[in-house]
Amino acid sequence: MDLSKSLQVAVSGLDAESARLKVISENLANAQSTALTPGGDPYRRKIISFRSVFDQQLDATKVGVGRVGPAPGDFQRHYDPVHPGADAEGYVKMPNVNPMIEVMDMREAQRSYEANLNVIEASKAMLSRTIDLLRG
Amino acid sequence: MDLSQIPVFKAMAKRLAWLTERQTVLAQNVANVDTPGYVPEDMKEPDFRKVLQEGGTSKLRLSTTASGHFGGRPVSANGSGNSSKEKGGEKSLSGNAVSLEDQMLKVSQTASDYALMTNLYRKQVGMVKTALGHSSG
Repeated sequence: MDLSKSLQVAVSGLDAESARLKVISENLANAQSTALTPGGDPYRRKIISFRSVFDQQLDATKVGVGRVGPAPGDFQRHYDPVHPGADAEGYVKMPNVNPMIEVMDMREAQRSYEANLNVIEASKAMLSRTIDLLRG
Repeated sequence: MDLSQIPVFKAMAKRLAWLTERQTVLAQNVANVDTPGYVPEDMKEPDFRKVLQEGGTSKLRLSTTASGHFGGRPVSANGSGNSSKEKGGEKSLSGNAVSLEDQMLKVSQTASDYALMTNLYRKQVGMVKTALGHSSG
């Protein structure tokens, strides 16, 4: 079945985008997660990268999660001497998460997810039309 | 009776196979819309006029008794090799050149072409049925 091939490729796209959304939600949830020990490092933003994978069994190029790695960037320092994570000078390191960027990434993931869903809809319509041929 | 021996049906089956293959290629493009460095692919439009002439008007044709004979190859044999990288188009910072709008347009084009073909196929089957004396088609 060839149309199931395109369905499977689109499903791999859905998987990848939902994995991306998971990473984004981790970043957003931990936007205020500071260290508990004085002077320690807070939560570091994660970045997900995709790569195209050729599925030999399927004979098609799917998409897969390449790597989830830490994002570079400096931590912002906030003055809060009573915080348990504050260093000797009274500064707390805050995570390098920018909510604006995360929301933009979320939108992008959402749009890509929808695009894959549309491909599934189109393939499904084609498939059901083929089956309808049997009705004569 | 073998419907696939009738040239029109043969051509339509080829067209359907081509559209299916294209749908897979487009699904790959959409799935890889966020993959860095990915360049979208598309299928080459085959010359369906040639397909029709090949099997349509000529009355005397050599029968194809072996797979190596002209016209005896299945469509799928050269199906996946027909896709090629798209040229031009804007690349994003990550080197990805997939335009979602383009791809969605092509997906809907492919789907409606497919609908056209299946409808035509059904009509042709109806005609054959009429010729056979069944009025249900």
